[in-house]
Amino acid sequence: MSAGPYNYSYIFKYIIIGDMGVGKSCLLHQFTEKKFMSDCPHTIGVEFGTRIIEVAGQKIKLQIWDTAGQERFRAVTRSYYRGAAGALMVYDITRRSTYNHLSSWLTDTRNLTNPSTVIFLIGNKCDLEGQRDVTYEEAKQFADENGLMFVEASAKTGQNVEEAFLETARKIYQSIQDGRLDLNAAESGVQHKPSQPGRNTLSSDQQFNKDNCAC
Amino acid sequence: MEDLLTETVPAEDLKKFEKAYHEQLYKHDVTPKAQFEYAWCLVRSKYPADIKKGIFLLQELFRSHEEGQRDYLFYLAIGNARIKEYTKALKYVRSFLNIEPGNSQVMALETTIKKKMEKEGLVGMAVATGVVLAIGAAVGLGISVLSKKT
Repeated sequence: MSAGPYNYSYIFKYIIIGDMGVGKSCLLHQFTEKKFMSDCPHTIGVEFGTRIIEVAGQKIKLQIWDTAGQERFRAVTRSYYRGAAGALMVYDITRRSTYNHLSSWLTDTRNLTNPSTVIFLIGNKCDLEGQRDVTYEEAKQFADENGLMFVEASAKTGQNVEEAFLETARKIYQSIQDGRLDLNAAESGVQHKPSQPGRNTLSSDQQFNKDNCAC
Repeated sequence: MEDLLTETVPAEDLKKFEKAYHEQLYKHDVTPKAQFEYAWCLVRSKYPADIKKGIFLLQELFRSHEEGQRDYLFYLAIGNARIKEYTKALKYVRSFLNIEPGNSQVMALETTIKKKMEKEGLVGMAVATGVVLAIGAAVGLGISVLSKKT
């Protein structure tokens, strides 16, 4: 395995978006460092994080662009949406306004990404049950109506954080397998990195997928 | 690998924010927002001349617009690191950390810059060693040729 130039087979690009203060950077930090940052200042522009995960026996490197939620950054952060394979759209379950703005975030995401981009809705701060301002049911309904995946999570306790990032990757990987996501498209948000000489090359992989297709 | 110091701005975005800035410049009424958005795109350009222009615009903002100073310091550090002015970049990082000690985003940037410096320092040394070896070999060859003649 270690003979290859990379120790992963794919790179998936993610973006994290949502209002200021909903905990985007804390979710990223919890996912990459497995730690909670209790005193997290407002992000400047964009932050970047990576982690290698495994889906169906394949090593995948996640390149995650965490965008600043403050309005003054919004115009330029839009350029990071392009070519994202996954978009994590975050609101704060204790602040209704952050939930009310989701449709605007969703419009941006739909306009600036591909039809195959996986959008995952995260209701963060679910450890603060006493201060809840948005019910699980209404958010679930919003997610279902818009075809989004959804969990409530807590960057503080770590609850469902792994699940959100990994579930998004599984869905993207599934799209590759199904042929819905074109690896050769410049803005698919996925790069293939053959990890071993003579195996896993782009063409042989696609051939392999075709052979295994149930149709 | 793509990261904060290597990702580049899409050409159409650079053009869009350039146009907005120039329209305001023409009317002699440039807002800090338009100037910052243009500068932020410039420092993410693949062309060093653009990055230098971005740095100039950010320095101007830093002097004239107090409110956004942490943003300007951050992108001054990024811009300088991207044109390999690492010492300057680290100076901006330190100015930032003086104002806001312990900011994890800026400390991560500091680590990235230092790693880059280290890596490129080693590459520089390797090139220098290669040159020395090549000269050594040439001299050695010269000596052997000369000694054969005699």
